[in-house]
Amino acid sequence: MELLSIRGLAKAYGGAVALRGASLTLSAGQTLALMGENGAGKSTLIKILAGAVAADGGEIRLAGQPIAPRSPAEAHRLGLRFIHQELNIVAGLSVAENLWLGRPYPRRFGLVDWRALHARAGAALARLGVEHIAPQTILSRLPVGDRMLVKIASAFIDESGEPARVFVMDEPTAALTAQESQRLFRIVAALRARGCGVLYVSHRLDEVLTLADRITVLRDGQTAATLDAETATKAALIAAMTGGRAIDSAGGPAEASGAAAALTVEALSGEGLDDVAFTLGRGEILGVAGLAGAGAERLTRALVNGAGRLRLDGKPAAIRSPADAWAQGVALCPRERRAQGLLLMQDVARNIALPHLSRLNRWRFFLDRRRELGVAVEAGQRVRLKARGPRQKVRTLSGGNQQKAMFARAIAGPLRVLLLDEPTRGVDVGAKFDIYALLRELARAGAGVLVASSDQEELLHICSRILVMRDGRLAASASAADLTPQTLLALCYGES
Amino acid sequence: MARFLSRFGTPLGFLLLIAFFGFELPGTFFTSRNLINISQQMSMLAVVSATMTVVMAMGDFDLSVGSIASLAGIVAAIAFVAGAPPLVAVPLALAVGLAAGLVNGFLVAYVGIMPFIATLGALTVFSGLAFRLSDGKTIFGAAIPAAFGGFARGGVSVGGVTIPHLTLVAAAVLFLVWLFLEQTVLGRRLYAIGGNAEAARLAGVRIKPLKLLAFGLSGLGAAAAGLMLASRVASANPTQGAGLMLDAIAAVFLGMTMSENGEPRAPFTLIGVLLLGVLGNGLTQLDVDSYVRDIITGSIIIVAVAAGSLGKAREG
Repeated sequence: MELLSIRGLAKAYGGAVALRGASLTLSAGQTLALMGENGAGKSTLIKILAGAVAADGGEIRLAGQPIAPRSPAEAHRLGLRFIHQELNIVAGLSVAENLWLGRPYPRRFGLVDWRALHARAGAALARLGVEHIAPQTILSRLPVGDRMLVKIASAFIDESGEPARVFVMDEPTAALTAQESQRLFRIVAALRARGCGVLYVSHRLDEVLTLADRITVLRDGQTAATLDAETATKAALIAAMTGGRAIDSAGGPAEASGAAAALTVEALSGEGLDDVAFTLGRGEILGVAGLAGAGAERLTRALVNGAGRLRLDGKPAAIRSPADAWAQGVALCPRERRAQGLLLMQDVARNIALPHLSRLNRWRFFLDRRRELGVAVEAGQRVRLKARGPRQKVRTLSGGNQQKAMFARAIAGPLRVLLLDEPTRGVDVGAKFDIYALLRELARAGAGVLVASSDQEELLHICSRILVMRDGRLAASASAADLTPQTLLALCYGES
Repeated sequence: MARFLSRFGTPLGFLLLIAFFGFELPGTFFTSRNLINISQQMSMLAVVSATMTVVMAMGDFDLSVGSIASLAGIVAAIAFVAGAPPLVAVPLALAVGLAAGLVNGFLVAYVGIMPFIATLGALTVFSGLAFRLSDGKTIFGAAIPAAFGGFARGGVSVGGVTIPHLTLVAAAVLFLVWLFLEQTVLGRRLYAIGGNAEAARLAGVRIKPLKLLAFGLSGLGAAAAGLMLASRVASANPTQGAGLMLDAIAAVFLGMTMSENGEPRAPFTLIGVLLLGVLGNGLTQLDVDSYVRDIITGSIIIVAVAAGSLGKAREG
């Protein structure tokens, strides 16, 4: 039975056309994956469904009835539930309070009945098969994956209107570890079993192919293809998304050069790490994997914050702060590009040139604006940054181009070692392969590249060697050629 | 329209204000004597606002500038009483201001106290020091050298018009702050801290020494303004800088509404200072009660900044 059908949906923002006749069909008890490059129209389609923007044309039917939600509240009443990439939660409140945000609390004698609230919250979590989260826990104490589960559970609480019929999940695994993603997949399966439809937006090909029944691909605001997940291949999906444009032709992991060491970590402790030691060769792309909390996500920051004894090109190096690191040719791309990476209100050129200002000056004091601009433009071109010009505000760039701006910053000066944390999070396929190609090029030019990532497919794809972190220690090191996704995951869990 | 008003509301209001006073005060407002008078009246505020711009470029505040100004004036006066010549007393007072600013910077950058709290505490301490050193009395009379008091009354004659020394000092400080913030590497880094301190740190900006420097400059500017005040009245009292802090922050805020990405910039701060200065001068000439003047000044600041944030909210 057709649960949700969209026909010829159109929307333009001023002169910019976002959707020009997109269509899709979602049946009850099915998962439909929605894919497409950034700017293909996915977000606009979801915003129309959620009642956040109004369509210019087209038709949406829910269980055969035409609908046109005019507000998020109306979409909720119709039985549509949305789980966004950016979590809408209050970190200082408990799990139960977050579940009941915006809903009337159970009361007793006019006061909040906390016992009833916690019992109902526990029941809501249990319906998802989540038993390990106590409703009283303050949300900020939970790992990101558990916060996501709380958010999903809140979509299940029906106080008014229609019960949930369609779940729209927008990049839900972007911030999750492999382990947490697995739990989410089980929940998606349970939703289908209850007869709900799941519209699942993701950039991750492997994930989509295993999870979805069918896959609809948007390109330039139109439906480019709808494929059966049983028979679809990654190549077919990429071709549909890009319109056949060839990408990542280099393919395959980088070769270990076996050359001299670029970075030698003799001992790295503190910040949750325990005596980590390894060597990163010149021209090598070295991956760091691990479950959430295992330390992979803290490694790059610990390296620049002076937690360890390091050597650069074999010589002892004093790196006590990011400033020391940049000064010695160690560049850093932090994990959260908006919170830790970019100056969003400032322009592209200023963002790229920032770590290199000590070279871009006259008489060591005055800023050399012309060279600032020149360096930024050159670096921007090398990473294929798409911007109207070097003075465009970073805030107005797409996610992929913001990521590229961080890469441009990293390569704008002399580069010996590049430290990356989640280099392609929330980035579309095209930009992702641009980034992979760039990393290979940098490695070929002799830089050592360290990539910490929760995307195992990514690590296996680009790295020559992968370090596995467990409980803050370096648990294993293996050549990527000897690993499969299964064996890598097993190493992360410590069951080899 | 909303965006236009939010960015150009402040200069537009400034022009309207000038037109209004020119119309209401024919023959007295637009005289070179009055305009020069205005420039001299607001030169102290211009200096403090200029160095406040440096601190606010990092996204911080300095609430202690008024009491540093008072303290610097008292220090100079006491040095005069002890027989020191201006060449000793003036650098001494400036050094005290710089040291006071560095104390603020140390508390904010190295101890990690919020600027609001650190400089609020400092405000009270420096004010208390000024009272203690002066016994709460105004220091004046023969002890103040004629050369010191004469500086503020003197000027440089340009084509028949005498530009007061104080106006020239204010112009020089504004120019130096503009040069520092917009033409130097350190200025770029200060704005980076204001944009996103954690991102700036991870991109290799050393935040602590820069904060120390910025607060030090703010203290130095406040001390300079205190000396200018003291020179103007050839005396020093422990409350003479009291009004400077709120007006300086208001002037920088008025200027920030004009900048494209909400950053404080020296030329825009100047417009904020001019607006406040013209308003004060015009209303005084119209014999408007000083309490009413406060109400009008405060309202203008709120309206300007509200218009600025309304435009931003709509954009976002």
